Amino acid sequence: MNVWYNILLYAVWFISTYYVVVLALIMFFGKDSLYEHKKFKSRDNKYVSIIVPAFNEEKKIKHTILSLKKISYEKLEFIIVNDGSSDGTPRIIKESIAGDKRFRFIDNPKNMGKAASLNEGIYVAKGEFIATMDADSVVERKIFQKVLPYFSDENTAAVTVSVLVKKPKGLLQKMFEIEYIIGLSLFLKVFSMINSVFVTPGPFSIYRKSVLAELKGFDEDSITEDTEIAYRIQKNHYKIANCLEAKVYTIIPPTFKKLCIQRKRWYSGAIFTLRKHKDMLLNSKYGMFGFFVFFNYMLIFFGLALFLSSIYLSFSRLATELWHYQYTNFNILQRIFDLKFDLLTTSRASVLGILSLLFTLTILFIGLRMTRSKMMKMKIGIIEYPLLFFFYQIFWLISAVAIIRGKQIKWR
Amino acid sequence: MEMKKSIFIIAFLITISLLCILLIAGNVLNDDRKTYVEDQMQAISDINDVQTYSLMNDIYGNKMACLAFKQKLKDWDKSLWDLGMKLEQYRVATEEFSKDPFYIQQKTKFNENELLYMLFLTKINKECNLDQDVVTFFYKKSEVCSKCDDQSFVLTDIKKDLEENVSIFSFDTDLNITNVQLLVEYYDVSEFPCVIINEKKFCGIEDKNFILKEICETNNNSLNCKN
Repeated sequence: MNVWYNILLYAVWFISTYYVVVLALIMFFGKDSLYEHKKFKSRDNKYVSIIVPAFNEEKKIKHTILSLKKISYEKLEFIIVNDGSSDGTPRIIKESIAGDKRFRFIDNPKNMGKAASLNEGIYVAKGEFIATMDADSVVERKIFQKVLPYFSDENTAAVTVSVLVKKPKGLLQKMFEIEYIIGLSLFLKVFSMINSVFVTPGPFSIYRKSVLAELKGFDEDSITEDTEIAYRIQKNHYKIANCLEAKVYTIIPPTFKKLCIQRKRWYSGAIFTLRKHKDMLLNSKYGMFGFFVFFNYMLIFFGLALFLSSIYLSFSRLATELWHYQYTNFNILQRIFDLKFDLLTTSRASVLGILSLLFTLTILFIGLRMTRSKMMKMKIGIIEYPLLFFFYQIFWLISAVAIIRGKQIKWR
Repeated sequence: MEMKKSIFIIAFLITISLLCILLIAGNVLNDDRKTYVEDQMQAISDINDVQTYSLMNDIYGNKMACLAFKQKLKDWDKSLWDLGMKLEQYRVATEEFSKDPFYIQQKTKFNENELLYMLFLTKINKECNLDQDVVTFFYKKSEVCSKCDDQSFVLTDIKKDLEENVSIFSFDTDLNITNVQLLVEYYDVSEFPCVIINEKKFCGIEDKNFILKEICETNNNSLNCKN
């Protein structure tokens, strides 16, 4: 019996269930406005600058530039910023944009970081709107006809789009494909309904240039400039909208190690941003945002505490079992098959776990249905989905350790 | 679109409802567990069989009673052992925030029944020359006796191997059952865990090999020592 563990278990269950129920209700009541399909009117036909910072992207940049050329929108300029790449990126950029006057190329000999590259691009941009895009991402042709009408509300400072995974391969990418559909697409729409979007994703987001100028661009000290700018937009009482029908396709790191590095940057950056803007927490001046972010991180904190407690208890139980086996000549193999399932031995905590799993899967299916995803193509990812929560804890743990140790988090 | 604050209240009520469903489901499961344990306890608590065998012994003599007892011994032993295991599983499944009074009540009953069967088996063992191995185990809660859990693990492992060829009786001395305390005094148990193997006392943790060896040494005719 571990009373504190059980209290923590029930607390995490209650907070996470409440959180998901809130999101599900918002989704349910706002289901008719998930896909708004706003009409592109002549007043929306504004000049747009797309800024693409690139650092050592020789394998992907050509494809990205090709996809940019296919965008079907006339009032457009492209600003490609080479951020001190040490590979063939600048050469490939030059070759790919040759002869196309819509492209401008900034070649920085020194690596300055993504935020600084974006700011450099913003400085020279002519567009009334600034779209930022990662060099490994691809957007659909008519993206601006879909997103620009959202700026008809003068208070909207930024619009995010559905971030999807480009050609997911392997078990890891298929699992995270689901996370992108739900977390970086559907939920961003849901968050926008309560004015609580806390990230304008790097793969593609579009901003009103006047607001970016007012906010003095991206924070060059931040390792997650897309999260930091979202906080400042909210802090200045602007809105961040989401256009679910517009899509950007990005790639997921192919290996677990690379994924860990990416997530360590994301999550550490999120904590640094939270620390920088701690005055927003539980502050009614910022509407729902301050409460929502607080609730979100409270859940993460308690979730991590539960995860660590579970790991500790599991290992201590395992150690006790192994200790016991020393008195029985370590006949572990003989006993391992004695384990039998009996409904009568199912504890309330197990019922709680089963209920949570069913609840999570239900929300997942509703979410996939709402985003009109082809579930049959994602069956492997759906099966793996519950494992995501385990991976989250690992990533949060790695990030927390890195912060506690005062380790400098790098981009790559 | 602006979301109404009522959504947060509705969500809270839904979450509370889900928690209630969970607690009710847990209670239904607990009631099933209790019914099962009570039924099993009732089955082994039926002392009519014991009385019948005693009367048989008085009226028809040893031979008849021993024959009948030999046939029944395996059933009793298995029922008692299974119930002991179920009780332990019940404890693990229900112990969340405090000790379940039902568990303590049933554990007390179980220990009392165990004692009755142990005494009866010891008597029949002598009168019928059964050579059934009897192991009695005295323990305390793990907070004060860390080795008691180890010893319990060893005895469970032995029981899994030898099944009905050995009768193992475990007594929780923390329950303060008068008759169990009398046994503790009789065997002069002052250190825990303590194991009585065919009437020979061994206090302190003993491993599987030692206990199997002692079973053979203390009972030359033990079925467990044929090889």
